[in-house]
Amino acid sequence: MKASWDVFCSVVDNYGDIGVTWRLARQLVAEHQQGVRLWVDDLRAFVPLCPEADVNAARQWQQGVEVCQWPEQWQPTDVADVVVEAFACKLPEGYLQAMKARATPALWINLEYLSAEDWVSGCHGLPSMRPDGLKRMFFFPGFDAGTGGLLREADVLQRRRAFEQDPQVRQAFLQGLGVFPASNARLVSLFAYENTGLASWLDAMAAGSVPTHLLVPQGRIMGDLLRWLGVDQLALGSVEQRGSLTVQTLPFVRQEDYDHLLWSCDFNAVRGEDSFVRAQWAGRPLLWHIYEQEEDAHWVKLNAFLALYVKDLSPAAAQAFTGMWHAWNSGGDMAQSWNLLLEHWPEITAHAERWCLEQSLQADLAQALVLFYRNWI
Amino acid sequence: MKTGKELKPGTVIKLENDPWLVQKAEFTKSGRNSAIMKTKLKNLLTGYKTEIVYSADDKLEDVILDRKEATLSFISGDTYTFMDTTDYTMYELNAEDIEAVLPFVEEGMTDVCEAIFFEDRLVSVELPTTIVRQVDYTEGSARGDTSGKVMKPAKLKNGTELSVADFVEIGDWIEIDTRDGGSYKGRAKV
Repeated sequence: MKASWDVFCSVVDNYGDIGVTWRLARQLVAEHQQGVRLWVDDLRAFVPLCPEADVNAARQWQQGVEVCQWPEQWQPTDVADVVVEAFACKLPEGYLQAMKARATPALWINLEYLSAEDWVSGCHGLPSMRPDGLKRMFFFPGFDAGTGGLLREADVLQRRRAFEQDPQVRQAFLQGLGVFPASNARLVSLFAYENTGLASWLDAMAAGSVPTHLLVPQGRIMGDLLRWLGVDQLALGSVEQRGSLTVQTLPFVRQEDYDHLLWSCDFNAVRGEDSFVRAQWAGRPLLWHIYEQEEDAHWVKLNAFLALYVKDLSPAAAQAFTGMWHAWNSGGDMAQSWNLLLEHWPEITAHAERWCLEQSLQADLAQALVLFYRNWI
Repeated sequence: MKTGKELKPGTVIKLENDPWLVQKAEFTKSGRNSAIMKTKLKNLLTGYKTEIVYSADDKLEDVILDRKEATLSFISGDTYTFMDTTDYTMYELNAEDIEAVLPFVEEGMTDVCEAIFFEDRLVSVELPTTIVRQVDYTEGSARGDTSGKVMKPAKLKNGTELSVADFVEIGDWIEIDTRDGGSYKGRAKV
């Protein structure tokens, strides 16, 4: 049954909002044959994820999704069967009025943030009744069966395995980015917010006995990187060598290529909700730079995830892994925690794959949303 | 108008013209500095109960309620009888109507509470911001800490458990803050 969906995305922080909504929209179309309009209030954030897109187009079709500029002055439009308000982005008043006037009520979903905290499953799927009679449902992504699951395309693990099994494909992908790592080099990707802990991590990698090739896609960490390298600027793709560490900057890549980058690396440092989830599907050890919140609320979320993630690791490996995440997110000294993590490398690497497989047994978020709608009508 | 984050047990909001009593409200930070309030609501006309989530900044129509001072008279099973301190009228409430404050309601308490009325019907009771209760059981001080920063579990007469300072002993009277669900404030002078 083909339903119409309106997915609303307000771009607040870089590519996090659009990253999640664009991926969801594509999956609803490709795997569930739904008709999806994606309303984006700032198409400049969309274009890096979908370079074919026209930043000035009021409406355009991309990969089966109708991508619409969310105008400041809302123009009347028909209301979809399912309305997804991503991250409580506040629907236009005119659209709310149209929802009230709709003969058949639309399912209005507030797609919430990802968190591993216990309370999430208790709030997932609950309604929110408004004084005007409209009802909004809260939908929470998450890591257990009581939640909406994680965004995951049906074939993502199959595609990853095919990529991993053919070294030439990996090599060709990296060469396409101008990356030629030494055969014995550990490949690390780094996508992060500004972080005072970076210098100590780079020091540790530079002093390491195993060569490390660090790939840094364009982003907010660049300033800290330049400072450590002692240079004023770096052309994209340029390579700098410091001790055992090779540093190479990369252009911002589209979502499909970011997956390939994560799959190519031995360790991935990520930020933002979409990258965080993709790094888990990569089945590699990961490091998450969480979005900082008022009153340190992000620490509760970080520790809730860590508690879940490390529970099947040995105590020593769990401590090393947790220590590294804590150091990174507090901007602390990374040298000691990185070296400690390396001592448990085989165990942590094997665990990353196990975690990925375990999580892949859950229904994915897009599937859960479609089922939620079917049960609702 | 009230916002989602202002909801608390005892608040009554109007939804589709019906008055709904907030029986329980749990505030949680979700992501990127937004927050949600999970509530347990009871329809005051039909008695129907439901769980509802609000964003912290959702705007809701609240119902103006009458408030009177009342004290607990007695408890009989799940029924709690409160007395209006001005005209001595007795009012009954079920345990679930006062679920949020129940851990701190005990026989013999003398706190002057705020009884909340909707159309002359008592719908809920709020405790004072600070209440004083006696510790019924706690382990002895393990570390001899006197700073008040080291905490240990303790039990009140009605079985409610909470964390208290390490130096608190059995029989001590303590102050409890009811606004955050009941946290230890300090030792009380009785």
